Amino acid sequence: MNNAKSMVARNKREIATAAAVFLAPALIVIAVFIIYPIIQSFITSTYDWNGYSAGKAFVGLKNWAALMKDKEFWHAFKNNILVMVLSIVLQMPIGLALATYLNNRKGRGSQVCKVIWFLPMLMSSVAIGYLFRYALDPSTGFVTAISKMLGGGKVDLLGNPSYVLITVIFIIAWQFTPFYMVYYMAGYGGISGDIHEAAMIDGATENQYFWNIALPLLKPSIKSAIVLSMVGSLKYFDLVYVMTGGGPGNSSELMATYMYSQAFESYRMGYASAVASGMFILISIIAIVTMRLLNGKED
Amino acid sequence: MTKKKVLPVILAAAMALSMTACGSSSKPAESADAKAEGAAASGDKIDLTLWHIQTGATAEIVQQSAERFMADNPQYNVTVVQKQNDSYKTDLSLAINAGTMPDVFLTWGGQTLYDYIDEGLVCDLTEYMNADNYKDNYLDAAVEQCTYNDSIYAVPIENVSVAGFFYNKEVFEQYNLEEPKTIAELEKVCDTLVENGISPFALANATKWTGSMYYQYLATRFGGLEPFAAAAAGDGSFEDEAFVYAGEKIQEWVEKGYFCEGFNGMDDDSGQARMLFFNGDAAMDLMGSWFVSNVADESTMLEDDTLGFFPFPELETSDANQTYTLGTLGDNLYSVSAKCADTEGAFKLITYLLDDEAVAARKAQGKIIPLKDFEADNDVVNEILDTLGGAAGVQLWYDQYLPSEVAEVHKSTSQEIFGLTKTPQDANAEMQKAIDTYLGK
Repeated sequence: MNNAKSMVARNKREIATAAAVFLAPALIVIAVFIIYPIIQSFITSTYDWNGYSAGKAFVGLKNWAALMKDKEFWHAFKNNILVMVLSIVLQMPIGLALATYLNNRKGRGSQVCKVIWFLPMLMSSVAIGYLFRYALDPSTGFVTAISKMLGGGKVDLLGNPSYVLITVIFIIAWQFTPFYMVYYMAGYGGISGDIHEAAMIDGATENQYFWNIALPLLKPSIKSAIVLSMVGSLKYFDLVYVMTGGGPGNSSELMATYMYSQAFESYRMGYASAVASGMFILISIIAIVTMRLLNGKED
Repeated sequence: MTKKKVLPVILAAAMALSMTACGSSSKPAESADAKAEGAAASGDKIDLTLWHIQTGATAEIVQQSAERFMADNPQYNVTVVQKQNDSYKTDLSLAINAGTMPDVFLTWGGQTLYDYIDEGLVCDLTEYMNADNYKDNYLDAAVEQCTYNDSIYAVPIENVSVAGFFYNKEVFEQYNLEEPKTIAELEKVCDTLVENGISPFALANATKWTGSMYYQYLATRFGGLEPFAAAAAGDGSFEDEAFVYAGEKIQEWVEKGYFCEGFNGMDDDSGQARMLFFNGDAAMDLMGSWFVSNVADESTMLEDDTLGFFPFPELETSDANQTYTLGTLGDNLYSVSAKCADTEGAFKLITYLLDDEAVAARKAQGKIIPLKDFEADNDVVNEILDTLGGAAGVQLWYDQYLPSEVAEVHKSTSQEIFGLTKTPQDANAEMQKAIDTYLGK
């Protein structure tokens, strides 16, 4: 009896030790590279500092007060929301449609399509940025060439404050839709072939199968894809930085590009840290609220 | 110069990282060895440390200058340290804080140099520059750039960069146009080109400093150097009429279609404006003199003798001196630290950086050096030099002159003036607010 108890206790201790040993590497990496920098950002945000001078001046919440009133930052936030909404609207349905198409056809043709459709995902963002920079050149780019063929004039998309952000959003969609295509294909892989067969035997059409059976079964994949896309859009940086640098003016500025220019172009490291911390808070709130909403519907 | 390195950081970083990693790991080791050897061999030599940011062949030229100096003056032991351009300012301020400031160092002039002078970190070199009229070897405007409160604090060594109009001679000939001398003539030239469906100015202004050069030149033509210097120091105002004129003129030109279509979305680093210029779709490009090497690398215009140059035209109605040029006369200005034990030796070392052999070596590299008797092998470059020789002074690029947080505001508001999304008045008010905030700290 006594012996058995101590065995159980020892077992528990051993499991706890093993857990600690296995978790330690991940926890240490997270602590050093994620948690510590976040805390450090919050601390730096209370200083007036150019990023390299020896002296930092403590200014309390001055940077935060300025951030609250900073029109540029809130303009960037609004742009981020636009990127987020349009990314979901464009990338989710197209990704799902492509995955459905590939799932239904198994021939060689669909294999070729799969590879071609996945290509944009394999290119680096910087390369894509430069590619489209030249492609959209108002004098020599292909959009202008098409417009001229149809009898129109030069088309300026990246230099026009009204179109620049929407243009970049379409390019982002071009880049990331393949990711969601693969994601949904994996989702389809999780649906047993028996279900499809049973539906067919019961006389369902492919259309009915998709809307009434496959789509509900893919729901968990769709939910996590939406959250992924949201968080990605809110902290988006690369293509905007490479293609427009946030301009013209601030028309395509995002929170992350604004943070970058404050930190490394204007050398206002303290304020940039406030921007980064502000981003952290905003993105966390939005992500948590969305996850609550999405999971709430299930019950 | 900083403007040219606005190359996309991300793209460059990956490649540069590996290269600079080798560069910086081997170089300090080398110089440390050299130092150890020198000290062991020579006993009580005077140590001098020199920092520079040159790379490749020019770094070699600097190293050889130091060796010639040591051969001629064996009482000195010089340690040459090659620093990386991007982090140079940071390294220097760290060294200052740590009390390990190098004896001989460089700045780009402008506010950074003035700040150091005000902090008492830089030696007054006036006496040495005047001895044997040494300073007369240099372009007057170049020495002017090293002068602060009537004393000379630095010696200009590397690249002269001045901005002016490069033009396509073929296009000018085709429409019977001549190099304009005044802004009114320039506008006539532009009108003719627009009528014939050619963009007068090639401009890629996503890069921002490119368009800013028009603003800087127009303001300088209207009011000379004074309004900007005063505004930057907080004595004047960015709402001065010179800046209003610059902004309004630019917007007038944009509305008349003087600039190529879509300029605000085009990137200069990837050559989008140059492409139009080389094709003859745009006739002129307001650019720094480094443009000549772009032209040599990317087109056949030099071989075909179709590249022309003229200085920014004069404003007839202004009382200000119309010979000022925009740019930098020697963008590596070498100074001596106030803590240096042997200022005279340090100054002598600097003179070796531009001795006859070093000048010949730099010329072979296609560099322009701020010396009066410098002559290049290239006609266009010589024309640029003539402009410079006659210049009464140089307006240093605003974005180098101003503290960086204000410089960013300037670049952004200038781009919005070009985009017609801000009135010059609003843009200038924003600049004034930025400089007030900066000076108020």
